[in-house]
Amino acid sequence: MSTSHYPFYEPAELLEQAVLDLHELARHCCASPQWVIEHVQTGVISYDNAGQAREISHEQWRFSSQTLVRARRIAQLEHSFDADPQLAALTTDLIEEVQQLRRKLRNLQG
Amino acid sequence: MRPGVETTAIIPAICAAALEAAALYPYYFAEPGAAMAAARAAGLRPSFDKKIGDSMDYKDYYKILGVDRKASADDIKKAYRKLARKYHPDISKEKDADARMAEVNEANTVLSDPEKRTAYDAMGDEMQFAQNVRAQGGGGFRPPPDWDQQDFHFSSQGDAGSDADFSDFFSQMFGQAARARRHQGQQGARGTPDMRGQDQHASIELDLQDSYSGAVRSLHLRATVLDEQGIPTYKDKELQVTIPKGVREGQMIRLAGQGNPGLGKGASGDLLLEVHFRSDPRWWSEGKDVYQRVPLAPWEAELGGPVRFKTLAGELEVTVPAGYRSGRKLRLKGKGLPAAAPGDLYLVLDVVFPPAATAEQKQAYADFAKAFPQFDARSLS
Repeated sequence: MSTSHYPFYEPAELLEQAVLDLHELARHCCASPQWVIEHVQTGVISYDNAGQAREISHEQWRFSSQTLVRARRIAQLEHSFDADPQLAALTTDLIEEVQQLRRKLRNLQG
Repeated sequence: MRPGVETTAIIPAICAAALEAAALYPYYFAEPGAAMAAARAAGLRPSFDKKIGDSMDYKDYYKILGVDRKASADDIKKAYRKLARKYHPDISKEKDADARMAEVNEANTVLSDPEKRTAYDAMGDEMQFAQNVRAQGGGGFRPPPDWDQQDFHFSSQGDAGSDADFSDFFSQMFGQAARARRHQGQQGARGTPDMRGQDQHASIELDLQDSYSGAVRSLHLRATVLDEQGIPTYKDKELQVTIPKGVREGQMIRLAGQGNPGLGKGASGDLLLEVHFRSDPRWWSEGKDVYQRVPLAPWEAELGGPVRFKTLAGELEVTVPAGYRSGRKLRLKGKGLPAAAPGDLYLVLDVVFPPAATAEQKQAYADFAKAFPQFDARSLS
């Protein structure tokens, strides 16, 4: 086993809103761009710049890191249970809601 | 180490999350099958006589899934789904859920694939495995004679031809080899394929203060790389990561090129850290807004006036308006988490009653009651 003795400072990039393109989102989810396109088209995940007046191409879609967390969760559920995308999305919605409620409860309890 | 650099927080977070990630990126953890597959993918003959071989403990995949060695494919699928639900990282309350889930995923990856299962079964059970190791002089496990010649086939869920790197959702064991094989197929030659390394995902736990002031965290990572002979080996490295100001709950920090190493001339994957804040009874965030409890004495709450207190944005003095109401919040614009348009700080007012310890203090409460003869606390509820 070898160890690097000289730690170096690594520039970290904060992923804000609308930072990931279609291919980056797909890559970070271990999915194909086609998987992302299908899930956007069926409303399971959405891109940040969806509110624009004119329709934009797939290549112009931009996703947030929160969408990445959601997309990964959906992909894992689909994979583990051979789940229908809508069922995986429903489960993810519930997981997200439970997490929000738990956070609120924790804050209320101090 | 640089003063002010904290090292403790990230290590357990990385470990726990990395185990979860192991389900997706087993190559990183030098699991024997994946390491061998990666070596084969690189056109190299895998060796198990040292390094990985030394740490290769037998894993009883049947035991992990709780099925018989003669279990049908359907039995394995049912057992896997039951355990996947039990140890799901978002749901499970089991302490070692992440580690168990990684184990269950690995077992399922091997046993749900007829070819891999056949190859795994050829190693025999735990006792036979141990005998094999001893028979080979204790120098590590040597795979069955035909193992190296086996040609695993990899099924693809997506359009395998459209994107050499991400044409389907594979991330289980042998994934690297699957990618390499497709890539080789496209190249039409059996050379070392150039493949981008897998991304790694982990969680990082921070204090809310870190978002206001920025922070440096030390990450300890272990990756598996192939040495000059193509033997998988471990490489530890330490990264000092600067946490940017303004980071929010659930956001991701990307460290480009710090994921799994690529094969051939392929670039390394990225390391993605999902940010979570430690629970703190004093303050919490919602998006870029921050909420803070401000305890007030009863007279401060009712009569109002200037109040001085510490916040994450520094010490502040605010004028509390007279007339306390339960649940009242005061907003301080722009004092939330830093951003181009910073969040707001909400002060959640909370009345704290001083305990009446002395006779004089008890008298003060009695006088208080006398001053409000008509007051009935129950009538307000």
